[in-house]
Amino acid sequence: MVDHRRELLDLIVSPDAFGQSAEDLAPLQLAAAQQVFEQQHSAIPILARRADEAGITNIASLHDLVPLLLAHTAYKSYPTAFVEKNRWDRMNHWLSTVSTPDFADVDVSGVENADQWIARLGDHGHLVLATSGTSGKCSFLNASRHDRALKERHFKHVLGWPETIPANDREVFWLGPIEGPNSAIEAGIISRDVWARPGGFHALITEPLRISDVSQMAAFTKRMAEGSATPEEIAAFQNEAQAKGKAMRTALAAYTDTLLAHRHEPIILSGLWAQMLQIIERARELGVPDGDFHPQTRVNAGGGIKGVTLPDDYKEQVARFFGDVQRPGAYGMTEMAQMLPRCEAGHYHRAPGLILLLLDESGERLINADDGLVEGRFAFLDLLYEGRWGGLISGDKVMVDFAPNCACGRPGPVILDTITRFAASGDDHIGCAGTIDSYVRGVVGA
Amino acid sequence: MSTLTVPHIVKGERIEGDAQDYGKFATPQLNLTDLVWQRPAPGPAFDVPLAEIIDILVALGEWLKRDPDGVMAQACTASKRSNPLPEGVIDRSYATLGHLFDRASMEFQVEQELGGADVLDGWRTLNTPSGRSVSLRAFPPRLVHIVAGNAPGVSAMTIIRGALTKGVHLLKLPSNDLFTATAILTGLSAVAPGHGLARSFSAAYWRGGDKTVESMLFRPQFFDKLVAWGGDATIRSAKEYIGPGFELVAFDPKTSISMIGNAAFADEATLASVAEAAAMDATVMDQQACTSSRFQFVEGSIDQVDRFCALLQEKMGVERMTASACGNPLTGAIRDEIDALRDLDPDYRVFGGFEGRGCVVRSDDPVDFHPDGRVVNVVRVAQLADAIRYVTVATQTVGVFPHSAQVAFRDTLAAAGTQRVVALGSAVNVEAGLSHDGFYPLQRFVRWVNDED
Repeated sequence: MVDHRRELLDLIVSPDAFGQSAEDLAPLQLAAAQQVFEQQHSAIPILARRADEAGITNIASLHDLVPLLLAHTAYKSYPTAFVEKNRWDRMNHWLSTVSTPDFADVDVSGVENADQWIARLGDHGHLVLATSGTSGKCSFLNASRHDRALKERHFKHVLGWPETIPANDREVFWLGPIEGPNSAIEAGIISRDVWARPGGFHALITEPLRISDVSQMAAFTKRMAEGSATPEEIAAFQNEAQAKGKAMRTALAAYTDTLLAHRHEPIILSGLWAQMLQIIERARELGVPDGDFHPQTRVNAGGGIKGVTLPDDYKEQVARFFGDVQRPGAYGMTEMAQMLPRCEAGHYHRAPGLILLLLDESGERLINADDGLVEGRFAFLDLLYEGRWGGLISGDKVMVDFAPNCACGRPGPVILDTITRFAASGDDHIGCAGTIDSYVRGVVGA
Repeated sequence: MSTLTVPHIVKGERIEGDAQDYGKFATPQLNLTDLVWQRPAPGPAFDVPLAEIIDILVALGEWLKRDPDGVMAQACTASKRSNPLPEGVIDRSYATLGHLFDRASMEFQVEQELGGADVLDGWRTLNTPSGRSVSLRAFPPRLVHIVAGNAPGVSAMTIIRGALTKGVHLLKLPSNDLFTATAILTGLSAVAPGHGLARSFSAAYWRGGDKTVESMLFRPQFFDKLVAWGGDATIRSAKEYIGPGFELVAFDPKTSISMIGNAAFADEATLASVAEAAAMDATVMDQQACTSSRFQFVEGSIDQVDRFCALLQEKMGVERMTASACGNPLTGAIRDEIDALRDLDPDYRVFGGFEGRGCVVRSDDPVDFHPDGRVVNVVRVAQLADAIRYVTVATQTVGVFPHSAQVAFRDTLAAAGTQRVVALGSAVNVEAGLSHDGFYPLQRFVRWVNDED
C-alpha cells in the first residue's frame, strides 16, 4: 500500500513544498486522512467514541473529519483533583484516553508533581508538552519521538521560509526559557538546533520552566475564588509576581548589551512585543540609532499583548528600530506541529501534510470552497502525529482565500493575516446563571 | 432565512425599522435624545396612584394571556430564531408571562418590600427618636436596565418592578432575548394608550459596551442607577460610568446547588421522590436559569449514589412546565470534558448521553467545568456538611433534603454566601416580593427622599 501520509509529509523537504496545487493535493490528503484514521481510531478512546457516535467508519470526504475534530480543551479534560491529590496513575489513565499509546505501564511511584510526571513519561519515550494557559489549568499533549523528529524537520524547512534555510551559522537570541515541556520552549530548542552556530545560542532565561509552578498558581486562584485565601496571602502572591517581573527586566537589560554587540551580523531574534520595546529603550540609552541591524537579521516579535500595556504604535516603534531586516511570521499553535509560514504577500501557506478545514462559527459545518474569500473557524488535521490524533478545532476566526493562486504566485488556499479569536467578537448574550469567576476577581494580577 | 428585524419601544411608542444592521438582525436607527427623560420634568407616571398602575398591569396580564393582536405569538416565533433556549421552553415561558401580572402578587411585593403603597403614592410620616417629624417617600427612580435574556420572565419582572416604582425605565435588550420586553411594552400601550405608565418605558438594542451609546446615556443627568444582570462581561464597560450619582444595582450571575442527605435512601419510594425533586431543580428553564441546580452533593456510598444518579438522569428527561423532555444536544467543549470522564471509571461515572435529555456525572470532587445544558454533577460526600466548602458568594439557591438538614444548615450556608435555601424540588418557585440575590429590588430601585422638619 502506498504511504500517502509519509509522501505528503516528505514533500516539506522539497524546494517546491509549497508549490503543490490544491487540486493535486486533495486526493492524497484524503487518502492520508483515511490512513491515519485507520491507524489511530481503535487506539485513541476519544477518537473511537467520536467516530462511533457520528457513525463514521472511514474518511470518504473531508466532511467526515468534522465530527472527529477535538477542541483544545480535550487536552485538559482531566479532573484537577487528580493533580491536587497526586493521582498520577489516574493521570496516566486519562492521558491514554487522548493519546495513541496506553501509559498504564509507566510507573509513577515517587512522582510528586506534573514536572516529574512528564519527565517519567519522557523516560519511556512519550514526549508530553504542557501549555501554561492563563486559566491555570494546563493542557497535556503527547507526541512520540518520531513526531518530534518530524516536527523539527518541518520547522527547519519553514523557519527561514521563503528567504532562506537554516544552516547552523547564526547567533540566536531567544528571549524566553529554553528548558521545559512547553511548545514555545520546544520552538526555541528547535530554533537553536537549526539556526545557531556552536556556542552562538543565547537564552534570556536559563532556569527551567516548571509546570508545577503553574499548577500552584491555579490552586491559589481556586482558593481565592473559594474565599479561603487571606488578603495578606493575595498581596504576597501579587508582590512575588511583581518582583519576578522586575528581575526579568533587569536581566533583559544586561542581555541586550550582548545582543547589540552582534547587531551588524545576521542574527536571529525572537521575543515578545513588550520585550522588544525594552530592548529599544536600552539601545537608546546606549546611543544605538534606528535601522542599525544587518539586513539578513530575522526578528520574530509576537504574543504577550494580553494584560501588558503597550503604546498604540508599538509595532511601528519596533519596525522603525530594526529597520530593513527580515520579519518572518508564522501561524501555529501548541496543538499543531506543521505551522504555516507567511509568504512575501503576507499570507499563511499550509504544508502538504496539513489538511486545512474551514468551519462555520459553530464548528459543525465544513465551508471549504473552490475559490474566493471565506471567513470561518479554523480547524485542521495535522497528519504528522502518530502519538495522538492531529484533528483539532481552534478558537480562531480566519479569512481563507481559496483562489487557486496566492498573490505571491504559489498555489492556495492561504490564510490572510487577519486572525482573531471568536470569543472576542461574540454577541452580548446576557444571563443570570454563572460562576464566581465571571464576576469576582479570582485572578492574581501580575 | 431573512434577517430578523427587532422593533424598539420609545416612550411607549413602537418603532419598526432596519436601519441598523447587526448581521443576524437589524433594528431601527437609535435616537439617543428620544431615549432619555429630561430631569427637570417629573416622569410621566410619578404621580399616578399605585392602585391605577396595578389595575393597568392586571389588564396587561390579561392582554398577554389573550394576545388579541398576535403580538406575543409573533415575538415568541421570532425569539425562537434568536434565543438559544429549546423551542418548547420558550413556548411555555411565553404562556406563563401573563400570570406574573397577578394582583395579589404585585400587592404583596409592595407590602413586603416597601411596607405599603402609601410610601410610593405620597409621603409617609414618622417620628424620630430625637422627636422630629419626618416624611419619607420611595421616590420614583430613573433607571436603565441591562436585562438578562436567559428567561423571558426576566423582562416581565423588570417591567413589573419598574411600573410599581413609577419611575422612567430604559431597557437595553440582550441579544439572546430581543423580543419579549418590546412585546410586553406593546401590550402596555395597547391596554393604556398614551397613559403616563406606558410613556415611562423604552426598550432598545445596542451592542453592549458601545461607547458611542453608553457614554452618552450612562450619566447621572439622565439616570439614577444602572440595573445590570449578567457578569463581568456585561458590566465591564458600564463600570466606567458608575460613580457618584449613577449607581449600580447588580443581579450577579449565580450557580445553584442541591444537598441531599442519606435519608434519601430510606426506601425506594423516598429515593424516587427525591430524584424527582432533584431533577425538577436541575432542569428549571432547561438549566439556563440561575436557580437551576448544577452540582448535587449526595451523602452516601458509591452504590447508593450511583442508584440516585441513574434515577436522576431518567427523571431529567421528563417534560415539565419549565423544562422540555429533551433539550438541545450538547456540543463543543463540555462534550470533550464529559467524554474524558467516561473513561475514568471508577473515579467518575457518567449516566446518559449528549442528546439533551440529561447527563449526570458522579464524582468525589466537583468537576472542573460548569455543568450546563442539562448536565448535573453529583458529588458524593461522606457527610452532608462536606458540601459547605463548595458554597461561595456566587451560590444562589441551595435545595436541601431532608427538611431537618435545611434548618440545620441554613445559617452556615448563609454565612458562606448562599442567598436562598429551599426544600429540594422548590428551586423553581421564585416568588415576587421575597428577596432576590440577597436584597429587595423595589427598595434598591427607588430613591429614598426625606422631608424633615
